[in-house]
Amino acid sequence: MLRILNLSKVYPGGTQALKNVSFEVKEGEFLVVIGLSGSGKSTLLRCINRLIEPTEGKVFWDDMDVTAASPSELRHIRSRIGMVFQQFNLVKRSSVMSNVLSGRLGYVNPWLSLLGIWSPADRQRAIKALERVGIAEKAASRADALSGGQQQRVGIARALMQEPRIILADEPVASLDPVLSHSILQYLEQLNKEGQTVICSLHFLDLVHRYATRVIALKDGELVFEGLPVEIDRAKFKEIYGEEAQEVRSSSFETTA
Amino acid sequence: MNLKKIPQVSPLMTGILSLLIPGLGQFFHLHRYRGVAIFLSTGLLSGMVIWYGKPIWYLAPAAIWLWNIWDAINIARNRKTLILIPILFGLAAAYGIGWQMVGVDFKAASLERAAAVIRPMLHPDLIQTRQELNRMWTPIYVPCSATETIPPARRVDGSKVAFATPDCAGVLETVIVSASGLWPNTDTTIWWETNIGDDKPLGGNENKPLVVRSDDKGSVTTVIHVPSTVLIAQPDPNLMLEHRIYFDQYRPLGGIELSTNGGFVLKGMLESITMALMATTLSIFLAIPISFLAARNLMSGNPITLVIYVITRTILNFVRSIEALIIAIVFVIIVGLGPFAGVLALTIHSVAALAKLFSEVIEGIDPGPIEAIRATGGNWLQVVRYAVIPQIIPPFTAFTIYRWDINVRSSIVIGMVGGGGIGFYLIQWIQINQMGAVGAAFIAIAIVVITLDYFSAKVRERMV
Repeated sequence: MLRILNLSKVYPGGTQALKNVSFEVKEGEFLVVIGLSGSGKSTLLRCINRLIEPTEGKVFWDDMDVTAASPSELRHIRSRIGMVFQQFNLVKRSSVMSNVLSGRLGYVNPWLSLLGIWSPADRQRAIKALERVGIAEKAASRADALSGGQQQRVGIARALMQEPRIILADEPVASLDPVLSHSILQYLEQLNKEGQTVICSLHFLDLVHRYATRVIALKDGELVFEGLPVEIDRAKFKEIYGEEAQEVRSSSFETTA
Repeated sequence: MNLKKIPQVSPLMTGILSLLIPGLGQFFHLHRYRGVAIFLSTGLLSGMVIWYGKPIWYLAPAAIWLWNIWDAINIARNRKTLILIPILFGLAAAYGIGWQMVGVDFKAASLERAAAVIRPMLHPDLIQTRQELNRMWTPIYVPCSATETIPPARRVDGSKVAFATPDCAGVLETVIVSASGLWPNTDTTIWWETNIGDDKPLGGNENKPLVVRSDDKGSVTTVIHVPSTVLIAQPDPNLMLEHRIYFDQYRPLGGIELSTNGGFVLKGMLESITMALMATTLSIFLAIPISFLAARNLMSGNPITLVIYVITRTILNFVRSIEALIIAIVFVIIVGLGPFAGVLALTIHSVAALAKLFSEVIEGIDPGPIEAIRATGGNWLQVVRYAVIPQIIPPFTAFTIYRWDINVRSSIVIGMVGGGGIGFYLIQWIQINQMGAVGAAFIAIAIVVITLDYFSAKVRERMV
């Protein structure tokens, strides 16, 4: 359903974040992107919905060229792509409810939304989304009153409001402790089992083995691996993560085991 | 430090260099900052002492000069001296001269004078017991005319009758005044009102109220002298004109009411609060657009906007450094006395202060939610509405309320230079020594400031 063709990104400072990356995502996959910090994972995910404009290359979604979409087409495409962020990206001073409702902005009448008017159906949908991630009782709380794990669940609920066909998760558990990491990823896994396609960048190898159906790896902006999780052994891991990988890997296993 | 560069200057030579110009020896030995600091501080201290002109203080820079030579020699020998010594000398001179200039004089603080000011303030003129006034007056003609017929100095009002004998009199002549039908056994204040409405007390040496108690039947009779000053404002002292003699009786009605000055306190306080409200509201509308120009993260994109940013920031810093009080003095000259001048001054100062605070809020905005709303397919306006505004409204509101709080305090002071509000009354009461009213004003100010302080702190706590 998603085809990435020769994607490259050069930032104004001259940094080449992506080099000629091509891959495909099939409907219903749980695709995990791995790689060092700065290897281009975040840039790759943001190029898919053009939060970052790629310098070269194409992104096709069901044969629709995302990279050539007009602003209004692009907004329509984005409204069907849910996104979950490492730093949750909630408006901390707003209520959980209004954070979740904002996920619906691509669907509603823009003028009503500017006045802050939401239909009862959307409010119902928001409650349902919060129930799915198990924090319906926090709807009226301010977002910053919640713990990190709860905030990320609000982030997932916001993505659910979009009724997305794809969820892009940019290191969704990097700011959380290992126990919470599993609970958040289990929500994503649950969604994946219900048919949603998930593209998720991750740091810890054990999480990759546990959740991914397929893995791609980036190194210095280049695609260096594409395959099944089981194919990533110690040697492969060292190749992707470089010489210091031994330490990183062992410590990550210790903390998450 | 680069060892190769240390020049070969002997300790003696270094000492001589520092003797000629303080710090020069140190400078030559590559203790550049030390040398410059010694030079500047010795120069500054010498300048201060010379300007002050009392020879005893020349000792301080002299001592530092000597220390500097010693320090230079030590540095040449690769040793260091305590920098605390010259600092102590410098501080001693600065505080000593400061003490003498301020003219600290504990004898000037006379206990009696303090008591004379503070005692009436302890009886604030804010409220009084409610009283009923029973007033009667009679005309009297001053001076006696040789040509005109003189009307009777007598007046009847219902059951009350008042008269003066004779009907006319010259300055300082004796007159018998009498009134009947008043309340019985009640103190009655008798006073003179001239033809132009000036009040003249009749008791003592024309400086105290004349109080006479009415008898069982409610009658008062007494002898007065026509006050010496009743004709002062009259162009023709021979022209006979009608003056009045008043008989005032008071009796308590029970309960309390606002005194006259208390009314002015309330009116002034309300004016001050309103001035602050007007100024704050006006300044929000001006500060918001300016704050966007003064936000670095928005303006650092290209050289033109960066120049606008620098100019805006510079102007804001300049305006903010001028107290609202001083701006008010200028505006009193331009638009005249009154609240308008005060509001303008407060507005200008508040715009500068708020724009800076607002711009810092904008600079501190979290880009995460902006990204998140864009990712949901929101358009530009929706991004502003759902990601930017929720982040800036609470701190904007909190800062604005805080500013209003500050402006109420400022407006009180601004009133003293003619900017309206309670300060305007306050400075006049101080000048005519009405310390009771001053005390009342102090109470009102304290209540308002403490209340506002409390609520603005509460609101800020909730918002930020």
